[in-house]
Amino acid sequence: MDFEVKKKIDLHGVSCPMNFVKTKAALEGINSGEILEVILDEGDAILNVPRSVKEEEHKIVKVIPCDTTYRVFIKKK
Amino acid sequence: MPEEKFDLASFKKVGMIQQKQLDYFAMRLRAVAGDLTTKQLRKIAEVADKYGKGEVHLSTRQGVEIHNVHHTNLEKARLSLEEADIKMGACGPRVRVIVACPGSATCKWGIIETKKIAHELDAKYFRQDTPHKFKIAVTGCPHNCAKATENDVGVMGGILPKWEKEKCIDCGLCVNVCPTQAISKKDNEYILDIKKCIYCSICTSLCPVSSWVIAKKGYTVFIGGTMGKIPRLGTRVRDLVEDKEELYELIDKTLKYYQKNGRKKERFGRTIDRIGVEKVKKEIL
Repeated sequence: MDFEVKKKIDLHGVSCPMNFVKTKAALEGINSGEILEVILDEGDAILNVPRSVKEEEHKIVKVIPCDTTYRVFIKKK
Repeated sequence: MPEEKFDLASFKKVGMIQQKQLDYFAMRLRAVAGDLTTKQLRKIAEVADKYGKGEVHLSTRQGVEIHNVHHTNLEKARLSLEEADIKMGACGPRVRVIVACPGSATCKWGIIETKKIAHELDAKYFRQDTPHKFKIAVTGCPHNCAKATENDVGVMGGILPKWEKEKCIDCGLCVNVCPTQAISKKDNEYILDIKKCIYCSICTSLCPVSSWVIAKKGYTVFIGGTMGKIPRLGTRVRDLVEDKEELYELIDKTLKYYQKNGRKKERFGRTIDRIGVEKVKKEIL
């Protein structure tokens, strides 16, 4: 990957909407343009969190499936 | 015999259903698309207190029913409900109250104006006589919350997506969220398998850079769906009809076809299976 991950949080097992709340909180802790890596569950999590992230105008730059979870890389707006 | 006191068929027609306690009736109210105002709910509560047993029953089709109303109070209760513009529902062999999800009015996934369509169809078809009960549902998108596929006619909003290469940042989200694996990546191109696509809009809604765009938006139509004793999911007869008038014309033809060809007590799905899907499609499309 051609970017540096600034922060990483594992939200495996965390359900909606707490997973997005935690994603948002983690994004608060990094600067604009930096990358947050989030581990999200398959199912509702991978559908809902990216949608909310988009609504807040952050940008997902990479998604890597990993068994029953996904590694999602989000660039802060 | 108590049964002979009433014209049960005409009572059923306006949603007044005799209970096993033969002097008592359930009053089925008409809540198109499941919507009632708080003022109407207050009135329903008032009538249920006064003429029923202070209870209401929520039906599986978004309806409200007041049970345990003595037959001598039915007319009084009905007139009282009318003060809040609450009309009676329907029972028996006819077009029933139309159900709908909230659709584009409030839902993030809603593609079509479900409430508006439900009201327009209600104005045109409610209580029309049919060989057996006839149920219509309008659902905003392929999540199918209003269960379009379990109704005699089901309308479902949908979109056909298109990939625009120049905007794509190759994040891979679409491939991972597509519920039918209709999107795949081959030689740096994202490809949509149209046979697998269910028009759900997850890719266009989630794509972080709007590389997936809406190429077409419309109404998908299912016919002959039913639950009950012998369940049958609706047959998809048209994909993404873009023009609302064209949709209405199709529904009109479908209903008329059933009214002409259905046998008594035969749900539309059974009619279709008896005559043959292809033959029915030829007549209505």
